[in-house]
Amino acid sequence: MRRIAVYGKGGIGKSTTSANITAAMTEMGLKVMQIGCDPKSDSTRLLLGGRSCPTVLETLRDRGSVDLDDVVVEGAGGCLCVECGGPRPGTGCAGRGIIAAFETLERLGAVDRYRPDVIIYDVLGDVVCGGFAMPIRNGYANDVFIVTSGEMMALYAASNIAEAVSNFSGDGYARLGGVIQNSRNVADEDALVDRACGEIGTEVVHRIARDPSVQRCEAKLTTVIGGEPDSAQAESYRELAKKLLERSEDRSGGMRGQ
Amino acid sequence: MKVIHPRPNPIVAALYTLRDMDIDVVLVHGPAGCSFMASRMLEEAGVRVITSGMRDDDLIFGGAEKLIDAIRTADERFSPKTIAVVGTCASMIIGEDMEAAVRRSGVKAKTFTVDCHGCMGDNTSGAVKAIESGCAAGIIPKDEADRQSMLMRAATDMEKKVGMAGREYLSPVRGPTKLKVARTIAKALKDGKKVAFAMIAKKELAYRFADMFLALNEAQKALGGELFTVGNLDPDKGLPRIRRYADDILSELKEKDAYPDRIVGGLDEYAVIGEDVRKEIDAFGPDLLILAGIPHAYPGYSPDDVLITDQPRQLANYLSMGCGLAVGEISSHSMVMGARSIIPLETGNTLREVLEEFE
Ligand SMILES: Nc1ncnc2c1ncn2[C@@H]1O[C@H](COP(=O)(O)OP(=O)(O)O)[C@@H](O)[C@H]1O
Ligand SMILES: [Mg+2]
Repeated sequence: MRRIAVYGKGGIGKSTTSANITAAMTEMGLKVMQIGCDPKSDSTRLLLGGRSCPTVLETLRDRGSVDLDDVVVEGAGGCLCVECGGPRPGTGCAGRGIIAAFETLERLGAVDRYRPDVIIYDVLGDVVCGGFAMPIRNGYANDVFIVTSGEMMALYAASNIAEAVSNFSGDGYARLGGVIQNSRNVADEDALVDRACGEIGTEVVHRIARDPSVQRCEAKLTTVIGGEPDSAQAESYRELAKKLLERSEDRSGGMRGQ
Repeated sequence: MKVIHPRPNPIVAALYTLRDMDIDVVLVHGPAGCSFMASRMLEEAGVRVITSGMRDDDLIFGGAEKLIDAIRTADERFSPKTIAVVGTCASMIIGEDMEAAVRRSGVKAKTFTVDCHGCMGDNTSGAVKAIESGCAAGIIPKDEADRQSMLMRAATDMEKKVGMAGREYLSPVRGPTKLKVARTIAKALKDGKKVAFAMIAKKELAYRFADMFLALNEAQKALGGELFTVGNLDPDKGLPRIRRYADDILSELKEKDAYPDRIVGGLDEYAVIGEDVRKEIDAFGPDLLILAGIPHAYPGYSPDDVLITDQPRQLANYLSMGCGLAVGEISSHSMVMGARSIIPLETGNTLREVLEEFE
């Protein structure tokens, strides 16, 4: 099983990109589970086409226990959608929430039950505290990819995330697989991202164009793969999915790779 | 200095300080087990200490609802005049807005928050927080709050300079029995020597250490010798509750004909009165000096002095410094909780027992 974590600055396109990767891999015949690690709980929106997905943490809080079937919802093409959920902005601790959600999925044996080929973690923003580093630690994710544009703040976040990953690498945790450029049409964008990658010590895996098809499909609550499957943008996401499969490790084990 | 033995924590210090301020209900906003040992002791002594009982869900989503519920329950169940909501590590890390919870609870009791947690550093920092919050809530006057804060800082400095806070690790010891100490005292009196006793006690612990006034008076009457006693039992110093302790003890000592020769400072002034106590003792010029409570609060105590402490690690510290007449009255704190009269010391009882050997 491949365990891939997608990190990046808020609003940079992690969820959009993750959903398209999930859709592309599903199309290839793989069983993909996308786990949204953001209290906003909007990671799998485009895969669910407007259907709701009860979050792990809210369900646990309201019912005291969780059934896997309640929180693992089938999305487009038979992919598996999970949202961790979390507190309202400004209350509680979302980081602790991510840890608790992972522990719950692990305890309930989510991997044994659904036997995914790939898990994709879509993780909120920067690595602000221990909780948001959880996917990198303890073997949950084996490969980390960072989404960035050529904008300064996005590159800054990318370098922070890379630093967190390298801090943990000594403990045998996840490794940095590379950078996904989600273009914003900044002047000289490719060169800017390349230079930043050089400084971080990684490389650009793939460049996604900024394209109106993304918004058109979003309005229909679908991925580009689902909504405009013959477009160049869809083809680009398929290429990205292939590269991620090539660059990630297939390891045995349950939620955590061994 | 790195210190690795377990030691008191700021949350517990805040709980005791709120007790000193006679707060009716103390509500710890944290996991059910946080500060459990201290809470239970305070409960047994008649102080209401309750918990909001945070769970993992509350860490994730915030514990405000649970806190509001606990405040309302406390208000209905105990009809308190005052409620203090005390923070913990858990509430601090998630940035819980305890003030907002208090406002939203809408209870009749005067309710205020103490924004403390376990990682603040010196335990006295929690006590200072409690004092400042109590002052801001109008529970205690400003001058008393300033005085209390000053005393807390002095206590912290003292422990760092001469107490065990300056040692990396000390294992607790129960120490030798009290026989050698009792015989030393009895012999000195029998030989007609000058024996001085100074109690420098911390608050409620005076209910136990004051037994030495009684035991020494009995010994002096039976064996002779000269006895001079000093205690920090000024009944006009500190918060009402602390004054009450001094009143209780002084009236019992008076009744039993063992009133101290000198009273120096109040029961909360243990960290600042060492020099003054020493002046009184020096003027008497004893052959044998007995120090009880916080012996290291007495400047220049020596290896020949009798040192009576209730702290097993403090005892280890004294013994390691070559103080051969140091003894421990271990577990005294749990005995004095809720006490209103003097509780016999093992040292006092041993002295009473050996008297007939010398008579
Ligand atoms: N390649 C792209 N082209 C055009 N718009 C994009 C592209 N990628 C993302 N977006 C838009 O950016 C917005 C934020 O994306 P989202 O995936 O929600 O970000 P994140 O999950 O990183 O916070 C979305 O509204 C999405 O439509
Ligand atoms: Mg997102």
